[in-house]
Amino acid sequence: MTDFEEPLSDEEKVRIAANFVTHAPPGEFNEVFNDVRLLLNNDNLLREGAAHAFAQYNMDQFTPVKLDGSEESVLITEHGDLGQGRFFDPRKRVSFRFDHLRKEASDPQPYEGETALRSWRDACDEALSAYVKEHYPTGVCTVYGKTVDGQQTIIACIEGHQFQPKNFWNGRCRSEWKFTISQSSAQVVGVLKIQVHYYEDGNVQLVSHKEVEESIVVTNETQTAKEFVKIIENAENDYQTAISENYQTMSDTTFKALRRQLPVTRTKIDWNKILSYKIGKEMQNA
Amino acid sequence: VRVIVRVCACDCVRVIVCVPSLCEDLLSSVDQPLKIARDKVVGKDYLLCDYNRDGDSYRCSTEYRDLYFEGGVSSVYLWDLDHGFAGVILIKKAGDGSKKIKGCWDSIHVVEVQVRAGAPLPVQTGINNVNCFYLPNLGNMDMENKIRSTLNEIYFGKTKDIVNGLRSVQMLADKSKQEALKNDLMQVLSQRSKQQS
Repeated sequence: MTDFEEPLSDEEKVRIAANFVTHAPPGEFNEVFNDVRLLLNNDNLLREGAAHAFAQYNMDQFTPVKLDGSEESVLITEHGDLGQGRFFDPRKRVSFRFDHLRKEASDPQPYEGETALRSWRDACDEALSAYVKEHYPTGVCTVYGKTVDGQQTIIACIEGHQFQPKNFWNGRCRSEWKFTISQSSAQVVGVLKIQVHYYEDGNVQLVSHKEVEESIVVTNETQTAKEFVKIIENAENDYQTAISENYQTMSDTTFKALRRQLPVTRTKIDWNKILSYKIGKEMQNA
Repeated sequence: VRVIVRVCACDCVRVIVCVPSLCEDLLSSVDQPLKIARDKVVGKDYLLCDYNRDGDSYRCSTEYRDLYFEGGVSSVYLWDLDHGFAGVILIKKAGDGSKKIKGCWDSIHVVEVQVRAGAPLPVQTGINNVNCFYLPNLGNMDMENKIRSTLNEIYFGKTKDIVNGLRSVQMLADKSKQEALKNDLMQVLSQRSKQQS
């Protein structure tokens, strides 16, 4: 265990600060950042040592951003990272600078992406956008067509969030779905994540994730896109249904296993009666 | 929820090593999961908290605990005040790990009993008798039931509602059609009942 009397090096302090920031619940990055800034009390150290953490946080969270003059948002993800603080929007075919603290995009430039995969990417994006509109009240999706490890891959990212700090809650769901188009038979691999924080007079978080794998037949762009989205829809519906069922199970079994609403006898304890048999027992055992 | 409980203790240490001057304040205001220790002399488990760091311990009535918790570990620590006494009642129950579910319930009840001048005093022939006298009043302050219900209905219920607000299993277009139909029906029904009355 750490000896509290020995002062920590700057390096170790900023590592801890960065760690707090990357674990901030959705919608609470600024609060955590401000608190950490006060604790560290060294802005230069924080800015230099934790810059990577701010970027990592936004990419992990699939942070949505609107480019100037656009109605649609694009997601900040590792797949769109061009380095030097620039990201790209595969739908608009534009690269831009992203400020991780202000969460603002600027300096758009044309960006072509991988043209060989364009028709596949566009078909999947169209089908997925329709799906997201049907199921996510505030959802955003970004679809990439990239060669990864020598394989032509479609990567679909979906994000939906609600931030209501005035009501003491925030929530976000993210999912990432991939498959390769190089062969007629492929595996669709998905990761689904949900995080909800409710902190009115208390502190509760739901943090959940699920991995999914399904096979898909790769034919033409339109047909494959349709099947891809069907797989996503089924898996995400199943996941959401399972979470609701878990709440019921938790209420009926787990929670009860920890602490019952009523005693095993199904009546509340009579505290006046309890003394008479208890004293005797304790005195016997003493 | 499990992730957060595990992280909490580490986070406390992390903040303290960064800002050692916050140590006392943090430890006294943040509740950590209760730790279990073993009394090898009597062969029983007991719970650790701030209040018994340097005091004596006294194992509490297990009747209440067994009826509500069907097991678990509990400890009570009492100390004198100028006009009465105070105490902390600790309960820890871990799930048995069956059905791939892990959980833990920790209770920390802090109690202060004030004895007013002129009130009838129990005959103090031993610590057992003091406990007897006040126990019915303490027991009936059923905070735990209230908290448990609140946890179940409000906290867990609310997070579930938030999840279902982020995504809808039913297609949103269908959902709004259903809402519209429901509203129309309600309007028709209420008009009909007005006509009939």
